[in-house]
Amino acid sequence: MKTTSPVGKSVPRIDARQKVTGEAVYVFDLKFPGMLAGKMLRSPHAHARIVKIDTSKAEKLPGVRAVVTAEDTPKIKFGSNEYFFPYTVDQYPLEFEKVRYIGDEIAAVAAVDEATAERALSLIEVEYEVLPAVFDPVEAMKPGAPQIHTARNNIGVMLPVCFGDPDRALRESDYVHEDLFVLPSAAHAALEPHVSIGQYEVSANRITLWSSTQAPFKIREAMAKTLKMQEADIRVIKLNVGGGFGGKLEMFPMDFCACLLSKKCGGAPVKMMCTRQEVFSCTRRKHPMIYKLKSGVKKDGTLMAITGEVIADGGAYCSYGPTVIAAGIMRFMMVYQLKNIRLFGSRVYTNNPISGAIRGFGGVQSGFAIESHMDMLARGIGMDPAEFRLKNATDPNTMTINKMILSSNGLKDCIRKAVEISGWKEKYGVKKEEAPGVFRGIGLGIAADVMGSKMYKSHESAGSIIKVEEDGSVYLFTGAADTGQGSDTAMAQIAAHELGVAYERIRIKAADTEITPFDTGSFASRVTFISGNATKNAATDAKRQILDVAAQELKLDAQDLDIKDEQVVNKKSGKALFSFDQAVVLCYSFNYGRLIIGRGNYNPKTTPIDFRTGEGNISGSYGFEAQIAEVEVDTKTGRVKVLKMYDVHDIGYPINPASVHGQIEGSIVMGLGYTLHEDLKFKEGRVVNPSFSKYRIPRSTEMIPIESVFIETNDPQGPFGAKGMGEASLLPTAAAIANAIYDAVGVQIKDLPITPQKVLAALKDIKNRKQE
Amino acid sequence: MKSVTLDVNGKVFCLDVPDGELLIETLRDRLGLLGTKYSCLEGDCGVCTVLADGKNVLSCLMLTVEAEGRKITTIEGLAQESLHPIQQAFIDEGAVQCGFCTPGMILAAKSLLDSCPLPTKEEIAHALDGNLCRCTGYVRIIDAVLSAAQKMKKTP
Repeated sequence: MKTTSPVGKSVPRIDARQKVTGEAVYVFDLKFPGMLAGKMLRSPHAHARIVKIDTSKAEKLPGVRAVVTAEDTPKIKFGSNEYFFPYTVDQYPLEFEKVRYIGDEIAAVAAVDEATAERALSLIEVEYEVLPAVFDPVEAMKPGAPQIHTARNNIGVMLPVCFGDPDRALRESDYVHEDLFVLPSAAHAALEPHVSIGQYEVSANRITLWSSTQAPFKIREAMAKTLKMQEADIRVIKLNVGGGFGGKLEMFPMDFCACLLSKKCGGAPVKMMCTRQEVFSCTRRKHPMIYKLKSGVKKDGTLMAITGEVIADGGAYCSYGPTVIAAGIMRFMMVYQLKNIRLFGSRVYTNNPISGAIRGFGGVQSGFAIESHMDMLARGIGMDPAEFRLKNATDPNTMTINKMILSSNGLKDCIRKAVEISGWKEKYGVKKEEAPGVFRGIGLGIAADVMGSKMYKSHESAGSIIKVEEDGSVYLFTGAADTGQGSDTAMAQIAAHELGVAYERIRIKAADTEITPFDTGSFASRVTFISGNATKNAATDAKRQILDVAAQELKLDAQDLDIKDEQVVNKKSGKALFSFDQAVVLCYSFNYGRLIIGRGNYNPKTTPIDFRTGEGNISGSYGFEAQIAEVEVDTKTGRVKVLKMYDVHDIGYPINPASVHGQIEGSIVMGLGYTLHEDLKFKEGRVVNPSFSKYRIPRSTEMIPIESVFIETNDPQGPFGAKGMGEASLLPTAAAIANAIYDAVGVQIKDLPITPQKVLAALKDIKNRKQE
Repeated sequence: MKSVTLDVNGKVFCLDVPDGELLIETLRDRLGLLGTKYSCLEGDCGVCTVLADGKNVLSCLMLTVEAEGRKITTIEGLAQESLHPIQQAFIDEGAVQCGFCTPGMILAAKSLLDSCPLPTKEEIAHALDGNLCRCTGYVRIIDAVLSAAQKMKKTP
């Protein structure tokens, strides 16, 4: 066995072998005896009152085992930000009064096969009274607009933020700039569709749900509430998950119905799987947003004030609305030192599909708006955008105006390094015509990210258990949900290092709400930081137990011993005293009989954001990054080609460098898609491009060279100095590209995606203006 | 129903299948070869890629009856005594994240390398264009195929 520490090394992923051989099991691969196929009945109307639902014909169809409607449920609403925002709890697992979007769930069927289930859906008779619908958030806020829930002016979530004296700061500014940015919706487009299998145990009145999820414990909580059961009677099991990106972070009515149908069928397991069209149309999507910004700077580059309004199209239900609007408004406060801020955020209900969490929450939208806007401010005073950012970027060991505590902070180093590796100084502002009508440009964007967000529960704890068996095998139980990002591997590396054993010893079990400790789930780039600390603590505890026995046996002080490279060593002399295996056998032996079970948990020191003021230290630490794009713009066709992306990221310390680079590369390419062509489109509330052929995600031929560099700030709270980093690289991508386009051809595109048509129109517009 | 004789991963299966049954359904539901993944069923994503006579095909667009007489290889049939060099390269280069596209991606890469042993990055990207990945940004996948090609050249 290799015995050096795996932390900081690109060890192979713990699950890679199963994944390359096809052995890795995902929920859809499960098959149980007597398993039934489930299907959801969804509303064809964007807004309608449900007058009557008649399921009798469907129930009589041969092969149909059960049909459920709201009448079979306790009619209890659920929401995703329930603890701090009870007013956002607005969705029934099955609706019975109204439907609010095309796709809203009203009934479900279980049958012997999918075809029969689908046939049964068509036999359910629903009488609707169609209501006027509203699809534009600005229209929805106007008096007299159709009322979707009970929220005044359909504003489901409001976040007014005001610090300092922004009006005065704008008056005292040398240059004030106003902008309007428009951000479209987008899809997560994880390759594995949403799938769940519910099984009811009649004698015990218990439920087991296998779900493709990022947050098993979150589903358990919502399921218990809406089924009026005890959490202890609901077991949620996560297997391999084929990508999440925020789209699998909640309980869905299909999870609920798989279990309810199983109960009605006397315990037969029921499998529900979304079609690709359902994934695109009826799960979650990115919030379309509008940013109206007005900000001011001094001639010397001092950022004086940022003011404005943010309007988000929330769709039919609230989902993670508060988290998204908070991220959409407050992320730049981690990035820029600023005393005067006034922003008013509104998340507005419409009859569009439900907007929710998606990698970066609202940070991708705000990243584009704020970072494009900052370039325009710098331009207004004739300052280099990199210099401008260096002047205003936040520093380590500071508190932001809204009371976020930035301990380690490598933002300025990220900017400097990005400038250096990209050759920024030689390239920026230099007109470069590569071929007739084809111009090169370079652009910058910067960002910050949280690692955890106190938005879901009163605490944000994660726990880990490590048991060391008599044969020396080490089992790690964690509630952290690996959805492909590699958290199982990172947890195993952390456990191996801390316990002083080889990485190959660790077997990981995650996540099963009945077996593994609580964990809020994979979101907000929190797992390495929070679950990683919990795992480290569990390993420390297991090690202490082993060393206590070793010390007793050797009549030494346990404080003087450690486990390194699979050996119990004397810290002072460095002498190896036992092998790890011998020490474990000793623990279990006649005289001691000690079973080694280490436990650890971690709860970051955070405070929730006060939505009346915008204050709160939402994360235990913060990550930072700078990104530079080099592009080529063809002025004849309007086509933008991204030549290279440079990414410099303060990740604290990389537990697994290859995995960290992999997250960064994946984020950038996802960002590239959102910048240049991804656009989930709607017509009267209906998704018009719900397939991979119509909603294009980046393909291998669009792969671009990426140079990714780490800034290691060794975070004082992070496990081995590591910080979370799964989302930040997506945040500045669109602005970096848009700013590079400006550098190339002098047009600033303010609405995504940046299509050739928009570039051509903008070029024509400046040409016309020059002629006037 | 139709009787078909299928050659899958070197084993011969005699099956009675409905005329309209898709190859992906036969592989997964009748033969238990679950490594062939299932995502769009419209031929848009590539996760159900298998090899038919060494060429990558989408098993969601192929009828089982059409597969008769062709040698079908799924991801389960790739590793012999040890992992295939492409599988090993995917592990070594960190080309695996969620893993859902991985079997199809590896088989598409095998189809390429069998006909073009030392492809350029562009040729690899072109050959994998029908296989979507949402996690990796393709960087490490293309690196893995490149590295596998070099290793396979050294040890034919």
